[in-house]
Amino acid sequence: MLKVLENAVPVACWSCSVAHNESTLFCPHCSKIQPPSVGDYFSAFGLQPRLSIDLAALELEFHRLSRRLHPDRFARATDNEKQWSLADTALLNDAYRTLKDPLRRTEYLLKLVGAETNGSAAVSGDGESTAKKQRKTPADLLEEVFDLNMQIEEMRMAKKSGRDDPQLRESLRMAQEKFEGMVGAVDRDLRAQWAIWDTGDESARKPAERAMVALLDRRRYLSNLVRDVNEILGD
Amino acid sequence: MAYSDKVVDHYNNPRNVGTLDKNAAEVGTGLVGAPECGDVMRLQIKVNPETQVIEEARFKTFGCGSAIASSSLATEWIKGRTVDDALSIKNTDIVKELSLPPVKIHCSVLAEDAIRAAIGDWRKKNGVASETAEAQAK
Repeated sequence: MLKVLENAVPVACWSCSVAHNESTLFCPHCSKIQPPSVGDYFSAFGLQPRLSIDLAALELEFHRLSRRLHPDRFARATDNEKQWSLADTALLNDAYRTLKDPLRRTEYLLKLVGAETNGSAAVSGDGESTAKKQRKTPADLLEEVFDLNMQIEEMRMAKKSGRDDPQLRESLRMAQEKFEGMVGAVDRDLRAQWAIWDTGDESARKPAERAMVALLDRRRYLSNLVRDVNEILGD
Repeated sequence: MAYSDKVVDHYNNPRNVGTLDKNAAEVGTGLVGAPECGDVMRLQIKVNPETQVIEEARFKTFGCGSAIASSSLATEWIKGRTVDDALSIKNTDIVKELSLPPVKIHCSVLAEDAIRAAIGDWRKKNGVASETAEAQAK
């Protein structure tokens, strides 16, 4: 699938007819604005799909393209170009929001290469159970997540009834520290997988993609917990 | 997205919330999670060793309204059934009953998983062979 992405189907520029990469926002030949394409977010920025990206360069390019796409610049252009400047701007904003965030970027790339990060639990026509298709969560992680959730709830109840148990608060604080550390470890592991994936070695990419899917799963449980603990400790 | 009346009802008045003694021989515990949203669900059953009827069911779910409603409904449905019969409950039945939208189908899958996990745990504890019943459930 990635091969297709990296060699995007060329399309002819509506204005000068010279073929260009379908995700280009402006024709490289005549510089005219192009209609929003179905291409990927990376190529909207002229990038190859990669997990480690230069954020400063991305931001600069975002500002540069935003200015170039600004609807004011198309006040005297054709109706098509006016519409495209709005649509391209929307696309560019989505692309920037997705690519600048490391997690959203990772999720996006995994989806792009067909490694599902959101277990697609569809109901099949014959009503057959989809339970088997679900990804499994390690049992020890579930136990830990469940126990901390119980503690969080206890604390919430105690707070509601006006009590503020210092011992409970202390254990929550320890849990908070521990789970933030676990999130940090997941992020470090993710970055290690990014590096493997980015080398471009096809045989290494598949295992890296599976590892990243598992790491993102783990991170969702952990960040829910961190959020809930912070909420209680915060107010 | 609006929740259906049935989801709201289960959410506001969840049935069978609580805990059974997980060390008791007649109790089976299933702990499952949905990695796509980080929800966790624990479902426990107390089985009559003579009749294999599920006499008590309890759940505790940390997650969205649909996950809570799915597990609440699951406990209502399995109570009074034999373990083999309870295994015939499919996530699609829960989806229909609660009118869950496509983005919440994984909540029903989680509830079905929880029933299977609880029954699996009870069987393991009690040395009950599962092959025949699993075959029947399919």
